[in-house]
Amino acid sequence: MVLRNWRALGTLMAAVMLIAVACSPAPSTAPTQGAAASSGPAASFVQITPEPIAAGPGPNGGTVVRWFIGLGAGTQPAQIAGEQAFAAAYNGSQKDVYLSLEIVDNTQASNILKTELASGTAPDIIGPVGVEGLNLFADQLLDLKSLIASTGYTSTGVDPALVDFFNSLGQDGATVGLPFAVYPSYIFYNQDLFDEAGLAYPPTKVGDMYEGKPWDLEALRGLAMKLTVDKNGKDATEAGFDAENIVQWGFDAQYMDNYNARAESAWFGAGSFLDADGKTAVIPDYVATSAKWWNAGVWTDHFIPTANQVASDLLGAGSEFASGNLAIDEAHTWFTCCVTPPAPKKPFKFGFAVQPTVNGKITSPLHADTFSILKTTKVPDAAFTALQAMVASGDLLTTYGAMPADTTKQQAWFDSISANFPGLTLDWDVAKAMLAYPDIPNHQSWVPDYAKVRSAMQAFGNAYRTTSGLDIDAELAKLKETLQGIFDAAQ
Amino acid sequence: MAKTSVAIPRPAGAARDGRIHWSPTRREAFWGLIFVGPWIAGFLLFTVGPLIASLVLSLTNFNLVRPDDIQFVGLANYAQLAGDPLVIQGLVVTVKFALIAIPITMAASLGTALLVNSPRLFGRNVFRTLFYMPIQIPLVASTLVWIGFLNTETGWLNKLLAVVGIAGPDWINTAAWVYPALTLIGLWGIGNFMLINLAGLQSVPTELYEAARIDGAGPWKIFRRITIPLMSPILLYNLVISLITTFQYFTQAYVMTNGRGDPNNATLFINLDLYREAFVNNHMGYASAIGWLLFAIVLVLTLVLFLFARKRVYYAGGEA
Repeated sequence: MVLRNWRALGTLMAAVMLIAVACSPAPSTAPTQGAAASSGPAASFVQITPEPIAAGPGPNGGTVVRWFIGLGAGTQPAQIAGEQAFAAAYNGSQKDVYLSLEIVDNTQASNILKTELASGTAPDIIGPVGVEGLNLFADQLLDLKSLIASTGYTSTGVDPALVDFFNSLGQDGATVGLPFAVYPSYIFYNQDLFDEAGLAYPPTKVGDMYEGKPWDLEALRGLAMKLTVDKNGKDATEAGFDAENIVQWGFDAQYMDNYNARAESAWFGAGSFLDADGKTAVIPDYVATSAKWWNAGVWTDHFIPTANQVASDLLGAGSEFASGNLAIDEAHTWFTCCVTPPAPKKPFKFGFAVQPTVNGKITSPLHADTFSILKTTKVPDAAFTALQAMVASGDLLTTYGAMPADTTKQQAWFDSISANFPGLTLDWDVAKAMLAYPDIPNHQSWVPDYAKVRSAMQAFGNAYRTTSGLDIDAELAKLKETLQGIFDAAQ
Repeated sequence: MAKTSVAIPRPAGAARDGRIHWSPTRREAFWGLIFVGPWIAGFLLFTVGPLIASLVLSLTNFNLVRPDDIQFVGLANYAQLAGDPLVIQGLVVTVKFALIAIPITMAASLGTALLVNSPRLFGRNVFRTLFYMPIQIPLVASTLVWIGFLNTETGWLNKLLAVVGIAGPDWINTAAWVYPALTLIGLWGIGNFMLINLAGLQSVPTELYEAARIDGAGPWKIFRRITIPLMSPILLYNLVISLITTFQYFTQAYVMTNGRGDPNNATLFINLDLYREAFVNNHMGYASAIGWLLFAIVLVLTLVLFLFARKRVYYAGGEA
């Protein structure tokens, strides 16, 4: 019987252990964290030293401010080292605030932050994050106006137009971030393909003509068609051009948010999809112009690749410009990340040109990065103190490879990017010039139920990109109805 | 060795000497419960708990990024379902795909099983392995491979069709061809159903076939009158599982369109719509209602299938 009792005890213990193992969290690669920080999936937190602190005075005696990194840049090993160096220097330089880093996997960051918000354990500061990332948490962001007023904060070295731009990003006019990094958009072109075709490079100065004609949408179309070549070497303007066997394309806007029509139309003009009454859906006129131009460019003029062509090996399975088979790309400053073809292909020469005019006007869609404070913070003053130091940090700009909103710091950034392309002279005046033509309202600015609007715009963009002869006007009427439904539901 | 006694809670009816004198049945039940205990705990925590939570959430307007604004909205989410064009689209897409994919998958898996069960097939085990192998490949990876295979520019399928003079369609970007494309992808992974069908085929008594042949029955008649009836429980099982997995269809559609449901919402399966509402649009309360709608539909369809099975499915040992 004794033996049986032992066996019984052993079995019971095994059962208890099985339950304990089954119900315990997975082994974590993260350090021991405060209750707040540990609420997210532990494996998604990046292990750093010093370990994150959730509350209480920090090692320097200051108020703990939790800085959540992962929504945008900041999770690469080199960036993490830069962030840690900044935090260490900042925490060592004063005793009022202790900046505690929480770095999470970029692919999981949004869900982790949502979980923390839902469980009441959200951090104090988030970022760096783009405008779109901010919009996904729009009504959770603290309006900084009162803190700016009470502290007398001013953005030094930032063009007032850009200050206005940052001030226009929040929901219902809230100021949700201080100027930090900006990414104007313009034309990237493959000089080798231009040289091969014997074509002049596009203009680098606003107002310059191209081959004696205004640098406008029509000029871009003509140029792009000449640079679209079939397997027999004929371009898209020539008789006998074989549209079924294109090997080089003239134009595209790579990485434009999955054919998001709001993004793709942004260089055709700037406007709001929400009327001044805050309830009615409107479709700005330039959206129709844009959709028809894109649709004809893909299906009639063939200078823009189809979705299948974009995904093909000829266009680098999506890395179109780097494939060397795309002549012109409309993109933002950050696109310098992605212009070098993968080995063993040799890098090609490329240059910058200004945006063409549409209806006589230039619009350069602007992307921006900043840091925001969440409404749920219990330490807004300390968080704002840290925020000011973060946006003023040249080291953080360098860490993120971000183009500074502060004009006095821009040249250093231009030099650092140019250093990646030895032998090339990149005309950074183009980028500086395009900053004077931002799209306000921005193509990523807040609208009610931003995520649903974005999906609707992607569906519309996908339709005109993938459907030959699409009835654009009918699709726009449907889009307006869809947007109205979204806005009504959001009321 | 010193004696050690272990105090185990004495159930009612236990002897006064402290020893447990259970009947074998009760003892078996006790130990059975002990051993299934971990599973029951997991089931309660990770299945029943979320089920109840989602039911409660479906009656609220819970938004992941506005947790403080949560309000009880009664059946408003369920009322909204009826008028939501995306939910309706999701259901239409799912049913349309089910009507195309399930019969083809069922027929193909049965056909393959018959093939690899045939004594005339040389290297049967090799073919069985080959047909089963795609199951081992993660869905995301296989879908990415298929996207390349179906590409109109560089994909092999259209190149093969071109060899025989057929201009291949745009499989992925046209609403008319995306279902056949997804069905093709699905056919690649019929190994599981093939294996189940194979087991079913091998369980059919061979003397029935011999008797039928002696009576002059041809292969088709034997298949229709013997194989299919005796396989009917297996086929019903495959049908129910196919139905459930089709209503849970997600990964291939998500990978193929980055979760957008392109072209023109033609791949917005109801499960993809649920995901988008929950984790893209943050409408967790509404997404929970979609989840329960999905559950109700699958439950009803499964019950209908079982009702149908009463008349059409043959159980050799009586109804299961």
